Amino acid sequence: MSGLFGTLSIALSGLSTSQQALETTSNNVANANTPGYSREVSVLEAGAPIVYGSVSMGTGVVLDQIESLRNPILEIQLNQQTQQQNSLSTQLTELQQIQTSFSSSTSGIGADISNFFNALQQLSPDPSNLALRQSVLTAAGNLATDFNTAANNLTTQQGNLNQSVIDDIGQVNTLTAQIANVDQQISQLQNANEDANTLVDQQTNLIRQLSALIDVQVISTGNGGIELTTSNGTALVTGSQSFALSTSLGPGGTEQVMSGSQDITSTITGGSLAGIIQIRDQQIPGILSQLDQLAAGFANAVNGANAQGYDLNGIKGGNIFTTPPAGGTGAATAMHVAITDPSLIAASSDGTSGSNGNVANLSAVANQSVANGETPINFYSNLVFQIGSTTSNTSADADASSQILQQLEDQRGSVSGVSLDEEAANMVQYQTAYQAAARVVSTVNGLLLDAVNLGIDTAQE
Amino acid sequence: MRVNPDPMPDLLAALNQTELQTQRDELELSTGSDVNQPSDNPLAAALLIENNDQATFNASYLQSLNTINGQLSTADSTLSSVETTLQQAISLGIEGANGTLSASDRTDIAQELQGIQSQLISLANTSYEGNYLFGGTETTAPPYAASSSDPSGVTYNGNSGVNKVSVGNGYQIEVNLPGSQLFSAAGNNVFLALNNLITAMQSNSDIASATNGLSSASDYLTAQRVFYGNSMDQVQSQTTYLDTAKQQIAAQQTSLGAADMATAATNLSMAQTDEQAAMEAISKLSQNTLFDYLR
Repeated sequence: MSGLFGTLSIALSGLSTSQQALETTSNNVANANTPGYSREVSVLEAGAPIVYGSVSMGTGVVLDQIESLRNPILEIQLNQQTQQQNSLSTQLTELQQIQTSFSSSTSGIGADISNFFNALQQLSPDPSNLALRQSVLTAAGNLATDFNTAANNLTTQQGNLNQSVIDDIGQVNTLTAQIANVDQQISQLQNANEDANTLVDQQTNLIRQLSALIDVQVISTGNGGIELTTSNGTALVTGSQSFALSTSLGPGGTEQVMSGSQDITSTITGGSLAGIIQIRDQQIPGILSQLDQLAAGFANAVNGANAQGYDLNGIKGGNIFTTPPAGGTGAATAMHVAITDPSLIAASSDGTSGSNGNVANLSAVANQSVANGETPINFYSNLVFQIGSTTSNTSADADASSQILQQLEDQRGSVSGVSLDEEAANMVQYQTAYQAAARVVSTVNGLLLDAVNLGIDTAQE
Repeated sequence: MRVNPDPMPDLLAALNQTELQTQRDELELSTGSDVNQPSDNPLAAALLIENNDQATFNASYLQSLNTINGQLSTADSTLSSVETTLQQAISLGIEGANGTLSASDRTDIAQELQGIQSQLISLANTSYEGNYLFGGTETTAPPYAASSSDPSGVTYNGNSGVNKVSVGNGYQIEVNLPGSQLFSAAGNNVFLALNNLITAMQSNSDIASATNGLSSASDYLTAQRVFYGNSMDQVQSQTTYLDTAKQQIAAQQTSLGAADMATAATNLSMAQTDEQAAMEAISKLSQNTLFDYLR
């Protein structure tokens, strides 16, 4: 039997563990709103019993550990969903900006094409009328300007995205350096068998931030150490060592993402970087090339038709639009009306000023295959359809992804989130336990006094 | 099961959704269109561009028809005057063929016929909005000029060009007859016939046969004039057709892009209710925890 002192020591273990448990509760309450914080619980365990023959006596309570409640699978899903969500939402933002150039059916390139043919039609019954000829040139000018504007907007957006790549890579490097640094601290603590909960939370949170930028995979190397790579295996962090990515200006004028000397631009599949690269390297060049195709096809067809007739001075028609660049690349940006003199429109088919024979050839461009086997207006409306459906599909995907992300966040909250109600209940529980243990101490104290004073009732003096 | 103790992100997301919906409905109501950007309805956005193209073409065909109609009716009424004038000349020829007339009477008639000749030249040089109507595609200079050296008394400076104007998809209308087919057609040249009559009158020989010549040339011209009547009929029926098409195109545009105002308004008020509910939920959210009750 361990006697009264044994009882006292058991009561003391109750006091100190209750106090530690209250500390954990207090820490949870303090971090209720800290992003990435996982609630902690005090894991209590009964002290090893002392066995006397057939009787075993308890030795009080010990705090076995403070456990951080975190579901690692959920954290991985959250990382992956964050990568996808950020890629999609970045794409959506950019696509919505792109589609503003193509949003009206009564202005912009489509309406300009219709208006150009409208002006030609007006010229048909009165082919020598200079005012009507001028309005053909004005319509041609509006069309060229809108091609220029649409192409320039896209190019400007591409330039901004280039800058975003540089900014994002800067952030990626900052985050990987921080993660490596935290990883080193975790290893040190764990080697010393110390609790690294807070640092693990911090690291998890940093990896979540990194997931918003780039696709990252976490490989645990045991004993708290981690290795981060992109999904195609480019190393970002190995233990306490981080590997910075860099950017370098590629041949197409785009900033390429480099890991050392290796170009990993096209292998990035998640995070805002993936979204930026998708828009910058796929969507915008695709739309630009279609605009170029249409601009070049249109200009060549109109020039070809004009060359078949005679202008107001009876001279063979020349170019209405400047000749598009060979191959068409850059045609939308370069599109320009070549003439300012309205008499140079070749409306006549026989050299007389009153003939409108060649207006029909010019107007016929409206029904000609100018690009990809399609008429100008069909080609353009198809382009608008593509842009619209890409945007609308991306929007639906982004919505779905953000709902999944939200559900995962809910699940994470249900595992790791701090509930103030729960903490209040814990507080009451540990407070009561502390009070009870204190009462035991006071009782033992009385008993000890009784024993020391040999029956004199000191307690009642 | 333990619930997520922090419902705020969910509520904020819901609030964000209803705000987005409110914005969409408001835009729809203010623009009257439910296709305000291609992603709203990609197919409708593409079709609206083609619809606008059709509407533009339809309107420009109608405008052209209006211009053509002016040209055609001016030409037609000019030819009507020409016919009246020629009838006068024919009457004068019949009168001059009467053997009882004196030489001076015939000289007077010949002078009167010369007056008719210049009147005819002036009619043949009629222009519409600055363009000569009977010079073929030579529209900038008067097609006929008096010429004493030419047997017909005039020279034709026009050509035989005919202009066609598109007034529908693949539908063209011819809008002029050159003077060489109307006034100075080979075999039925009214100027030559008139000049022959003047010469016959002056020389008092073969007046009757010269009058007959003018009469048949005049009949030929009358027959040619039918062209203008036909063309004006074509203009009329095509105008009617395009007016109907215009309604159809407008109806198509409405069905493609016009917002259903009643639905949009209902959606808006529903979204606003949702928004208020979400905000109310947030405002009432866990202002109390268990801590408040532990005193």
